[in-house]
Amino acid sequence: MTHELRFERLIDAEREVVFDSFTDPDGQTAFYGQDQTGWIVRSECDLRVGGVWTVEFGPSQAELYRHRHVFEVIDRPRRLLLTTTETRLDGSSFDTELEIVFQEQDDKTLMTMVTRGFPTAELRDEHRVGLPNAFDLLDQFVRARPQMSQAKSDDL
Amino acid sequence: MQHHNATLDRTFFALSDPTRRGILERLSGGSATIGELAARFGLTLNGVKKHVGVLEEVDLVTTTKVGRSRECQLGSAELADVTAWIESYRRTLEGRLERFGAYVEARTGGDG
Repeated sequence: MTHELRFERLIDAEREVVFDSFTDPDGQTAFYGQDQTGWIVRSECDLRVGGVWTVEFGPSQAELYRHRHVFEVIDRPRRLLLTTTETRLDGSSFDTELEIVFQEQDDKTLMTMVTRGFPTAELRDEHRVGLPNAFDLLDQFVRARPQMSQAKSDDL
Repeated sequence: MQHHNATLDRTFFALSDPTRRGILERLSGGSATIGELAARFGLTLNGVKKHVGVLEEVDLVTTTKVGRSRECQLGSAELADVTAWIESYRRTLEGRLERFGAYVEARTGGDG
């Protein structure tokens, strides 16, 4: 039940610097950037609990993805918790929770990013009382799959 | 870029319910009739049919009529799409963290 999408990166900089970079416009643009020519990133951030950080990013004006983050926890320089609504090109959306933890490691900073995914806002809210997230569920199911019996295609 | 589609949404929805996950877990050990699932999960036949219907819509389960009962089995859901989506999502996030780390190090003169 605890499987999530988890990533770590040891960054050669002090923890305060890493935290502040993540919450400043240039750092946020770097986070959403790509090397691709013409890649667009537009970021607007209201850094306070309950504040909204919106980002539009994509390869062209005609193909822009949109993330709307809400800051749930801002614990400088240790931790950030955001809930995110990701809007796709077809207008549908997908909700995730993003937790970022900044830990001192010698003179460097271990930045850990954990994402939990939810198919709907309702499930995201229920998650707070322990519902496993969508990535867990898919992961568990995909792992169980090799043991599956062959499906039959008889009429129902 | 991340790949999304309606099937994926429905698959997430199908997996979001604990009873439906229980049914999948039970079926990963072998097929079962609607009646057997009802007894196991303390549900009415109609209750189980409803859950199985949701799982069937996204091919997580298939059902076959066997005599007077309906037998349920794990289905052939298009998990290639689902796993590709998770993998693409994972790579996207990993890339963001890496780019951000490189940006901070470039700015502060870190060695990386």
